[in-house]
Order: sequence, then C-alpha cells, then structure tokens
Amino acid sequence: MLQAYVPLVLLFALAGAFALFSVAAAPYIGPRRYNKAKLDAYECGIEPSPQPIVGGGRMPVAYYLTAMLFILFDIEMVFLYPFAVSANALGMFGLVEIALFVATVGFAYAYVWRRGGLDWN
Amino acid sequence: MSGFFSQAQQLQAPDVAYQAVLPMLLVLGAACVSVLFEAFLPRERRWGWQVALTVVTLAGAAISLIVYGNDAPKAGVKTFSDVLTIDRPTLFLWGTLLLLAFGAVLLIADRSVEPGGAFVAQAAIRPGTLQDRVQAAKVGMQTEVFPLTLFALGGMMVFCAANDLLTMFVALEVLSLPLYLMAGLARRRRLLSQEAAVKYFLLGAFASAFFLYGIALLYGYAGSVKLADIATAAAGTNRSDTLLFAGMGLLVVGLLFKASVGPFHTWTPDVYQGSPTPVTAFMAACTKVAAFGGILRVLMGAFASTNWEWRGVLWGVAIASMAIGAVLGLTQTDVKRMIAYSSVAHAGFLLVGSIALTSKGVSGTLFYLLAYGLTTVATFGIVSLVRDADGEASHLSQWAGLAKRSPIVAGVFTFLLLALAGIPLTSGFVGKFVVFSAALQSGMAPLVVVALVFSAVAAFFYLRVIVLMYFSEPAADGPTVTVPGAFTTMAITIGALATLVLGVFPSFALDWAGAGGFTF
Amino acid sequence: MTPSYYLLLSAVLFSLGAVGVLVRRNAVVVFMCVELMLNAVNLSLVTFARINGSLDGQVMAFFVMVVAAAEVVVGLAIIMSIFRTRRSASVDDSNLLKY
Repeated sequence: MLQAYVPLVLLFALAGAFALFSVAAAPYIGPRRYNKAKLDAYECGIEPSPQPIVGGGRMPVAYYLTAMLFILFDIEMVFLYPFAVSANALGMFGLVEIALFVATVGFAYAYVWRRGGLDWN
Repeated sequence: MSGFFSQAQQLQAPDVAYQAVLPMLLVLGAACVSVLFEAFLPRERRWGWQVALTVVTLAGAAISLIVYGNDAPKAGVKTFSDVLTIDRPTLFLWGTLLLLAFGAVLLIADRSVEPGGAFVAQAAIRPGTLQDRVQAAKVGMQTEVFPLTLFALGGMMVFCAANDLLTMFVALEVLSLPLYLMAGLARRRRLLSQEAAVKYFLLGAFASAFFLYGIALLYGYAGSVKLADIATAAAGTNRSDTLLFAGMGLLVVGLLFKASVGPFHTWTPDVYQGSPTPVTAFMAACTKVAAFGGILRVLMGAFASTNWEWRGVLWGVAIASMAIGAVLGLTQTDVKRMIAYSSVAHAGFLLVGSIALTSKGVSGTLFYLLAYGLTTVATFGIVSLVRDADGEASHLSQWAGLAKRSPIVAGVFTFLLLALAGIPLTSGFVGKFVVFSAALQSGMAPLVVVALVFSAVAAFFYLRVIVLMYFSEPAADGPTVTVPGAFTTMAITIGALATLVLGVFPSFALDWAGAGGFTF
Repeated sequence: MTPSYYLLLSAVLFSLGAVGVLVRRNAVVVFMCVELMLNAVNLSLVTFARINGSLDGQVMAFFVMVVAAAEVVVGLAIIMSIFRTRRSASVDDSNLLKY
C-alpha cells in the first residue's frame, strides 16, 4: 500500500537535494559581479525603470489593461478543471458544452485582439 | 487507466426544451454575434449592421415567443436540469421585456435628436478636454452599446425564468454589468455620466454581495439553492430559522435594490439623471420588469409558507418606498430625477401587489409592469426631445410654457404623466386598480389605504409639471423642442398608444397576465 | 475541527467588508471591500458544502469567483475612466449628482 508513495518520496528527495545543492554550490562556482540591480529588494537582474516623481510613480494605463485582460481570461478557464476531471462521465454533451463555452470566450478574445487590446503601446 | 474512468458513472445529459428557451438563446446568441460585428466590421458600417441585427433579433425572439406561447403547456416546462422554468408568467415577462427593449433600442439607435446619437464617440476620451468637445459634434458613436444592451436583455430574460438561486445570481450580474457600463456612455455631460456609472457600480456590487451572502445562508439552511427545495425545507421544521430568515433578508435586500424599492433606492435618482436618456429608459423599464419578476418568483416559490414571519417587514418597506418616492419627488427640480423618484413610488405600489402572494396578485403585478414600462419608455423619449445648446434641458424651470412652443409634445407628455399618476382611461389607473384589488382580497386593507394616500400625493408632482407647461410664460432663452426622427417617434408612439389602449381595453392583456401561475 | 468556526470567520469577514464599503473614501478601496465580502461568501459556501456533504457549494464558489473577476474588470475600467479626469479616486469628490 505504502509502496505506491515511493516515487513521490523520491521526487521530494530529489527536489530537496537539488535545492540544497544549488544554494551550496552557487558561492563556489558562480561568477561574482555586483551592481545596483543586485541590491534591489526584488532582484531579477534588470534595474527598474525610473518612476516619475509627479503623479506618485504611476504606471502607464497599458499595464492595468493587460492585467485586467489576463485576470478575465485566466479566471474563465477555472471551468475547464471540473470538466477535465469528469470529461468521461460527461460524454459528448459535456464536450459540446465546453466547446461552446470556449467559443464564447473566443468571441471576447477576437474583440480584444481586433480592437488592439493586445498591442503594447 | 480505463479502470479509473469506468468508475465514473455516465451522466445523463439534461433535456433542453429548445423551443421554449429559443427567445432567450436568440438574444444571447445575437449578443455574441454583435461582439463579432464590433470586432470585424469597419467603424463606419457598424452602426447600420448593429441596429439591423438588434431589431431583427428582437423581432425573431418575439415571433418565436408567440409561436411557442400559442401551444405551450399550461403548467410550464422546467429545463436545463430544472434551473429554468418557462411557465406563463415567464412568457408574459419575456414578452414585456422584448417589447420594452424594442422601444428602448429605438431610442438608443436614434441619431436625429442628438446628431450622431446620445452616446460618446469614444469612451476613453477625458471629459472637458478639446477632444471631448470635438467628439460631441462628431457623427460617430460608440456602437458597443448594442451588444451591451443585448447582453443585459439576455440576463434579464434568464433572471425572470431562473428557478435556482445560483442561476439567478449569474443572471443578475449578466444584466447589471452591461448597465454599469452603459450608464457611463453619455455624449454630453461626460463627467456626470461617469459619476453615475461609478455610483451605480459601487452600490450595485455592494447589493449583489448581500444577495450572494443570502444565497450562501439559504444553501446552508436547505442544502440546495433550488427554490422548490428551499420551500420544502422551510415547510418541514427543526432547522435553524436564523439561517432561513437571515438568508431571506439578505437575498431580498439585493432584489429590492435592483428594483429600486426605497429605502434601497439611493442610486436611482443619480443614475437616472446621469445616464444617457435612452439608457435610462432601458433600465427604468426593463430592469424593473426583471427585478419584480425575480421578486415574485422568489417570494412565491421559496418563502410562501413562512409569509407570516416576513410579510409585515415588506409592508413597512412598501410604505417606506411609496413615502420616499412621493415626498422627495415633490422637491425635485430636474425632470429625470423627478421621474426617478416616481419610479421609487411605483416600486412601492408594485411591491404591494407582489406580497399579496395570490394568483390575482401575480397577474396584477405583471400587468402593472407592462403598463408602467411602456409609459416610462415613452416618457424618457419625450425628455430627450427638449433640448438647448448644451444638450438636454432637463431642469424643470426650462420646461415652463412648453405647451406654447410645442403643443403636441406637451400634450403627449401630459398624457403620460397622467398615466404615471394613475388617472382613469390610462393604463396606470388599470394597473393600480388590479394591484390594489388583489391586495384587498388577500387582506391587506390598511396597506391599500396607505398606498391610495401616497398615490394622491404623488399625483401632485405630476400635476405640478403639467401646470408649469401650460400656465407659465416660456423663458426667453428657453429650450427648443427637436423634431424627432423616425426611431424616436416610433418609440414614443408605441409607448403612448399602448398606454391609451391598455387603459381603455385592458382585458386582453389582463387575460395574458392571468393565463397561468408559477411552476417551481 | 468545528465547521461553524469557519462560518463565524466568514461572517466576520463579510461584516468587515460591509463596514469598509460604508466608511472608506477611496473608490478602489471600497471596491476591494466588496471583493472581501464576495470572498467571505465563498468561504461560507465551501463550509456549507462540507456540512451538507454535497459538492454544490464548491461549484457555486467557482461561479462566484468568475463573476467577481468580471466585476473587477468592469469596475476598474469605470473607476479608471473617472480617475483620469479627476485625478482622484475619492468617492467624496463624486458630488455633481445631487439636488
């Protein structure tokens, strides 16, 4: 019974070992080049672009637009999970329904795409 | 692999009575097509295609409704695994919604009254800037209003037919979200319009959160969100009444908000005033129909057996609504705000019919909704005609002496106001009569007396406008009355004629409204 | 583990959200409070699903999440459009519509 979990334990062990190895080995084999970006609170290797002082460092509206579109299309897909786990039980009817659902989301996508919602600028 | 899947039981695909739900599917399908039109048609051709699509859809939906209604089973059908019920009241409400939406769409599509239509050319333009002034004179308009209208209408149709609270919630949002956006699309007075949209949105979202918490508590109480299951659970006892009544209270607050019943009316005057007038017509007429359809179904379907406990509270709400509408309506100086308060008072009268909980009460309320909706669409059609250089002249002082400038417009408006006041030979009188007599029969005599008093008070502020139009001297730089194009003329004519016909020969519509009761 | 604690937590969160809507002045914060209310409802739904021993409540939570996301997008679009004019998202500044 418990043997079924052996691969899982192995995977965890492997993951843990890899993490430990990476952290331990990095100081020895990695190059050391310090710059300003390295000292940032969130380091991703790129210095953040300067924020305008006037207006409290706001982002261009395009960021919010993209974020909103992402939220919308991302959340719609939540319905695919229940469908996926019971696809067999739902049979043809379920397939047709989910195809209709995806098509409906596709209409919105077509609208966003044609109206330039996906263009950056 | 196959072992795992074969454990899963094959689910039975739910039966769908396609013919019964065809009107709803047509409207929602057309809404999707309309989005594609927006995506793929060049800008200058969108308006024509959108208007054609919308009108054809409404006509097609109405025809399929009539065809189905002629030989529909009297008991109604439940479909989509019982989440929708297409019974006689549903059919009547759908017909009402389609008719009212047709009138509102005519007003929305009109481009003669305001050159280019009442809607902003590009919603992203900042109010008060140079571009804003340029767009106000431009011909184009944001044609997204058509898909939004169709989606809102589809949501309303689902809302009236929903037999299940979750479906009702989703439909509520489908009808509300487009309306929030439409409120912010006025071509002129952009800031006012955007402010209306923000207020409507924040208060609407607040109300739907209450509605939803009510659903959660009722689900905890009954273990299901089907109206019939809640009714069964409420009839058999030994469960927590706290959950039932807390859930019901929150749910009904959400519904009363949508129906703009006072004291949950606070958004109504602001949103009615700030929105583009055609949108105000759409939401004043159609949202009220959908919301009261929902209220009737929920009260009759889920809570009829416990009405001893809650009826008193709704008495109070109805009285408060009539009082707020009638008294605050007297103090208004803006025509659109005044009609908004009148709608709050009317919501109170409608609630009187809704809590009668008899078949008479249902048919009376349904008739009232039809009559009120048609009168309202025509009223807002007239409001959009009286204009000065700045757009609509909605301040009451500007309406002084209108009868001397334009006797026809003043005459029709007078007739419509008399209908709102409930004077005999108009549909408003018949509506009030059937609703109040139903309330009397179910033993609510004191409430009917209060309602009669408040309808007399409310009549006063309609008369004030009539007196102002006929017996005041027109101001020197007063507004002009625009000669309406074909669309607006048609919408006003339909509304005014229906108000007259339903007032003189109401029996055919009363027969339709009383053709059958709810099925749960 | 008594499920009723979760119901209590959900009621507290819902009330916090409702109070927030009534007392906060920034439209975005008001809106976040509405979202808090919706998520409190989700907690209730899931807890009731557990108590009732049916999955319906969890499915309803999915629907609520999707509807809430759609509401966020519509709401932020409206708030943003008025913010661009007024340079402020305070609900007190929206005072043109009154008698």
